Amino acid sequence: MAIYTIFVYVVWFVAIYFTIVLLLLILSNRKQLYDSPVLDESKPLPKVSIVVPAYNEEKKIAESIESLKTVDYPQELLEIIVVNDGSTDRTAEVVSRYKGVPNLIFIDNKDNKGKAARLNQGISRARGEFVACMDADSQVQPDIIKKTVPYFRDPKTSAVTVTVKVNNPKGFMEKVIEIEYIIGLSLFLKALSFLNSVHVTPGPFSIYRKSVLKKIGGFDETSITEDLEIAHRLQRYDYKIASCLTTYVRTIIPESMRGLYRQRRRWYSGALITFWQYRDMAFRKKAGVFGVFLPYIYTVMVLGLILFLSSSYLGLTDMFHNLSLYAHTNFNFFEHFSLKDIDPLSVSVFGVFGLSSIVSVFLLAFIGVKLTGQKIRSKAKGLMGFWLLFFIYQVFWISAFFNVLFRREVKWR
Amino acid sequence: MAVKKRIFGYAAILTLVLFILIYSFNVILDQKREESLLDRVDDLFSDYEELQAILLLSDVAQDEKMTCLALESSLVYLNRIWETGRKIDTYQSLNEEFLNDPAYAKMKQKFNRGEIMYFSMLKKLKDECNVDKTVIQYFYKRPEECGNCDAQSFVLTDINKELNEELTIFAFDANIGGPAVGLLTTYYNMTEYPCMVIEEDMYCGLHNKDQLIGILCRYGNLSVCS
Repeated sequence: MAIYTIFVYVVWFVAIYFTIVLLLLILSNRKQLYDSPVLDESKPLPKVSIVVPAYNEEKKIAESIESLKTVDYPQELLEIIVVNDGSTDRTAEVVSRYKGVPNLIFIDNKDNKGKAARLNQGISRARGEFVACMDADSQVQPDIIKKTVPYFRDPKTSAVTVTVKVNNPKGFMEKVIEIEYIIGLSLFLKALSFLNSVHVTPGPFSIYRKSVLKKIGGFDETSITEDLEIAHRLQRYDYKIASCLTTYVRTIIPESMRGLYRQRRRWYSGALITFWQYRDMAFRKKAGVFGVFLPYIYTVMVLGLILFLSSSYLGLTDMFHNLSLYAHTNFNFFEHFSLKDIDPLSVSVFGVFGLSSIVSVFLLAFIGVKLTGQKIRSKAKGLMGFWLLFFIYQVFWISAFFNVLFRREVKWR
Repeated sequence: MAVKKRIFGYAAILTLVLFILIYSFNVILDQKREESLLDRVDDLFSDYEELQAILLLSDVAQDEKMTCLALESSLVYLNRIWETGRKIDTYQSLNEEFLNDPAYAKMKQKFNRGEIMYFSMLKKLKDECNVDKTVIQYFYKRPEECGNCDAQSFVLTDINKELNEELTIFAFDANIGGPAVGLLTTYYNMTEYPCMVIEEDMYCGLHNKDQLIGILCRYGNLSVCS
């Protein structure tokens, strides 16, 4: 049997196995997906701080603050700390308009130090027992604190993630990414929380136990994906990260392909650096399922990438070969093909394996959308295009590999 | 945790079942391909036997008109020959064992034998019944031994589609075509591939569509020649 054939079988097996594990986890726990502990308001409530680092967010920061003003939590127990990271636009001016909001603290830095540094600065000023970190381009639901704080009743819980939704998706790509967020940043994290293996506390909104943050040294200011890094560190210290699907944060996504490419290059480069940084956790008994999950997911990714590259090479070679053949017939495309040439028996085994992978991804997306209580019809476009991401993202992964291997600088922005 | 551990086991079983299903599907598909080709080749042979019977009968009756009628009916089968040959090649490339699969090699040999029989019949038809049909004998080898054979087959497929009624192409695999094909290549003293024999003239090397049409027009008044 050809090596390539065996390789295709192996990649298919590990990737499908992962998808099925995920599906089974979600389906077997579907009744608990939306189970969340209820806040006992008869007891004294803890103080909560929300830190919002901002860099050139003049267009979005007002919406974020407005949404924070609607948070349903005793105002005397809630503080909002907006930290300017040396914005060069009118961010400071926009935030200054909210000076009258009694529980809003504005730290107006003139220098740019990066998101993680500003989060740490905000956390150091925070007086809350719990600190939520929120992106300045995101908007929260009023119940976000009441829904997440009860998870901290478990003393091992160090952080809680929430559902991340795309804010007002319009174009085709935005609708596709909306599905990706539903699956990847919500349902996937919830499934991983059942295995105690959450690997990221998404930047748009995550809430942490401040004492734990202080104990582990806060956010890594050198990391380009601080939300990923801190989750890995929490796992290393054997803390629990919970996931709450009953409330959500809305965030914006890059509008252009170029913007998406830059965002994903940063994410994936950060993921690779973080994985390397925490490689000692792989297969370590103390790390539990996370120790297996971590290398497994990167193995799937690397194998998928190799398969993508080799298939692309073969596909392109085949395409050029066919084009060269057509050159001998004056590119007589239409006469060469007719409907009666379609032969169902000409389906190759690779085609069937490829199709089954696309079907499984589609199935995962479909179940994801269904379980999150959304209407399939309204998400149809995104669902149809969801599998496309796996091709586009391979290109982003290649770029990220180059960045990491050749130590190219990837800036947060 | 017990439930969680069970999930990993269930997932492994499900993945394995899915893999076996797809693999079995491919095995079934392979069998279907083989069966379909066997049917096509068998059809060619049974049709040929039928024609032979009619020919024998017409010889006994010594009726030239009957002979020509019988031979002309064979033209219908001739039109399917190139298509069947291409199908064997396509299915062969889908088979994991590829060129080494004895089933396909055997089928190819049988098919090439059938082609030679039809070729002989067509020759007789042209000589005795004044049928105006241009015949190409096309000899090729596997891509590793013949860089241009793939391209020549492609050109011939295109031309065959355009001139199906006016042209008959017999494709002979010089690698696995069997002794009969070997005899033909020796007869024509063939050393270079791809090679075409058109009305006893040899044209070796790659010929694109325009070149080939130019050559074909020397031998008959085809619809593309005007």
